Amino acid sequence: MSEVVKLQLIGLVVVGIGVLILLLIRAQFARVIGFVAIVLGLFALVALSVPQMASLPPVEEKFDIATVKTPTDMATIGQKIFFSKGQCALCHTIGPSESARCPDLKGIGAKLSREFIFESLTQPQAYIYLDYRHEGAPKEYPARMPYINKNPIGLSRNEILSVIAFLQQMSGEPISVNPSELEVPGQAPAAPVKAAESGPVAVAQAH
Amino acid sequence: MGYQCGWIQSLLRTVRGSGRTFWGLLMAAGLLSLPALAFGADVAPAAATEYRDIPYVGSRNTIWVVAQLHLLLAGFVLGVPIFAWLCEVVAWKTGEKRYDKLAKEFTKLLTSAYATTALFGGILLFLLISFYPKLMNYLTDIFFPSFIVYCLLFLVETMTLYLYWYGWDAMQEGGKKTFHIFLGFLLNFFAFFIMIVPNSWATFQASPVVLAEGSDIARAWAATWNPTWWPVNIHRLIANVVLGGYICGAYAGIRYLSARNTEERDHYDWMGYVGNFIGVFGLLPLPFAGYWLMREIYQYNQQMGITLMGGFLSWLFILQAMLIGVLFLGSNYYFWLGITYRIPGSEMKYRKPMLSMLIILLLCLGVWMTPHSLVASLEEARKMGGTHHPLLGVFGVMSAKMTVANLMILVTFMSFIMYWRAGKQETATWAKVARSIMGGVLVLAAIAVIVLGVWGYFVPAIIRINYFSTSQVLIVLFVMLTITPLTALLLKSAKTTTEMVWGKMPPRAGYALVLNAVMVVLLMTLMGYARSSSRVHWHVYGVLRDSSQYAFSPALGYAAAFMAMNTFLFCMIVAFIFWVATMGDKAKASHS
Repeated sequence: MSEVVKLQLIGLVVVGIGVLILLLIRAQFARVIGFVAIVLGLFALVALSVPQMASLPPVEEKFDIATVKTPTDMATIGQKIFFSKGQCALCHTIGPSESARCPDLKGIGAKLSREFIFESLTQPQAYIYLDYRHEGAPKEYPARMPYINKNPIGLSRNEILSVIAFLQQMSGEPISVNPSELEVPGQAPAAPVKAAESGPVAVAQAH
Repeated sequence: MGYQCGWIQSLLRTVRGSGRTFWGLLMAAGLLSLPALAFGADVAPAAATEYRDIPYVGSRNTIWVVAQLHLLLAGFVLGVPIFAWLCEVVAWKTGEKRYDKLAKEFTKLLTSAYATTALFGGILLFLLISFYPKLMNYLTDIFFPSFIVYCLLFLVETMTLYLYWYGWDAMQEGGKKTFHIFLGFLLNFFAFFIMIVPNSWATFQASPVVLAEGSDIARAWAATWNPTWWPVNIHRLIANVVLGGYICGAYAGIRYLSARNTEERDHYDWMGYVGNFIGVFGLLPLPFAGYWLMREIYQYNQQMGITLMGGFLSWLFILQAMLIGVLFLGSNYYFWLGITYRIPGSEMKYRKPMLSMLIILLLCLGVWMTPHSLVASLEEARKMGGTHHPLLGVFGVMSAKMTVANLMILVTFMSFIMYWRAGKQETATWAKVARSIMGGVLVLAAIAVIVLGVWGYFVPAIIRINYFSTSQVLIVLFVMLTITPLTALLLKSAKTTTEMVWGKMPPRAGYALVLNAVMVVLLMTLMGYARSSSRVHWHVYGVLRDSSQYAFSPALGYAAAFMAMNTFLFCMIVAFIFWVATMGDKAKASHS
């Protein structure tokens, strides 16, 4: 018997006790307790009837450098990070959606260079690009892009490179990120990805 | 060692002489164990304990129950003084002694309620220190100065409460009464700060501001003034007024149901009316404060906002809509019962408007409760063309929900105005013009709210959030701030055609009052879970990660079981406090 079923049974019993009190007992205070029991039992039953989703901490994608042989391996890890620890899918869609709070990322790997994507993830306010949409006028979104390399998301450099690999693969582009760029624990870090040259804060619009 | 044993023998002799052998042995055992500390010093220090647990129940569940009960009791002891003081001021200004009696009746609860709240606060503190030492060390390091302030506030609040309660009868006339009113103000003033200081600790966990450098006070101040502190302060202040009002209403409802004579029925019927009035008075602006809080959360961190409104907590807001909807229905229903039973002859006059209001409220509730996406099988989703229903899907978005929430507030406000005007005939020469203006303002406001709501579908989200939703809120506030004073002016010179009759309400009115109070308490437990879960797997969001086995938020059904249990326990504790506080009165009444 699942936990939900057990709780539903308890809820039904509480409602049943409340009904019995109202039917059998004349003392006013006890009747009020019976009424409250019915209300609380019904509330719990309604809450148990909606989708039951727990929020689990994100699964850490372990980077066993030895097993990452090809850019495709990186893209596979990047896809998992995109939908879990990276929380990208919380705001972004892959495909157009009018209700999206953030830009649609379909084809983003073909549209932007890897350096630009890296900068967008690590210095999101450096260069705000409004023309993300595939059609229509440039759109300003209500959401603000967080620093992906800092807490609460806090992706490592290896994880960010893997997400870039996934974005490029998903856009049908050749993956320009290579497993040789991954940092091996205990070794000197690889050369940083060159950031797009821009002023500290700029806004670009396509006309 | 010999020197130590000499002390022990002397100690044992001393305590034996006074007949306290047990305590002497206990102290001796403590002293004998002192050398063990020296052995311990040679051992390499163990890693600091981060978490402790208790079997079967679990540390998180224990904290959940105790913290929730403490918070609900705190809301009660902060809400009741506001309620009591308002009643005392009304009595002072109007000379109506029954308001003073009501204020005193509720202040009497405060001493026992205050002690119970502090008791749960103490238990909570010990449990937090025991179960979450890492988190408590971190918070103490940041908030140490405000801990001291908090203790001082408790001292002055307790002294003020003693003066306010024990000085009630002695300070009834002239300047003394004015001073007593001032004491009531002070009581609420200190209580407000007692509320906002711990609010800073809780809001810091959700939206931390951490200074790497600076003095203790500078770091504590920066952490205190975090982005969600003031929205939560205002939201809780209003919510406490609502809780105080509805708890008063529920108490009156229960006493009304068990009243043995006409005098009691009249008194508790009137008390229920006052409680419901103050509850509704606070309820109307509460959604605006909630909206402000959500805006600040989104501005602080989009992910947290989306986790709340669009992520795994999104179904929670359907439950919230249900609870608020029932609360609105319950409050309006009580008003309508009042019009029907307390003002003879009004039933026929107001039957149609009441029916219209009921239909509007139910329709609005239906829209508010429409989920954004439906639980559907793959086949059903294919038929619908997605998880959004082709027709009902349009009601699941924020534009629709904001619109109906504002309409429900407008309807409830009009119920209140209708009740206020029932049984009176306006005699002012400008009455007709005033009525036309009020009707015009109401109709135009409702149309504007709906137009903005529909228009909201066709503009970018940022325009809707920043301009349209804010305008809807301002329009509804404008209606309240226009019609309330206009009605007050109109009724100042009005002739009472039908005197209000107390004690004639049917028993279901008492149950409606109890239902409203339960809804408010459930809402507080529900939103407490939302606030805590929005931090996901962080003790302090983005700063201090929860690495315990409980670093997850349970599903809504499991959480709802806890909410229901906590609500029931709180109701029982409050009932006990009422019973204890009124025991003496009942004994006096039976003797006389």
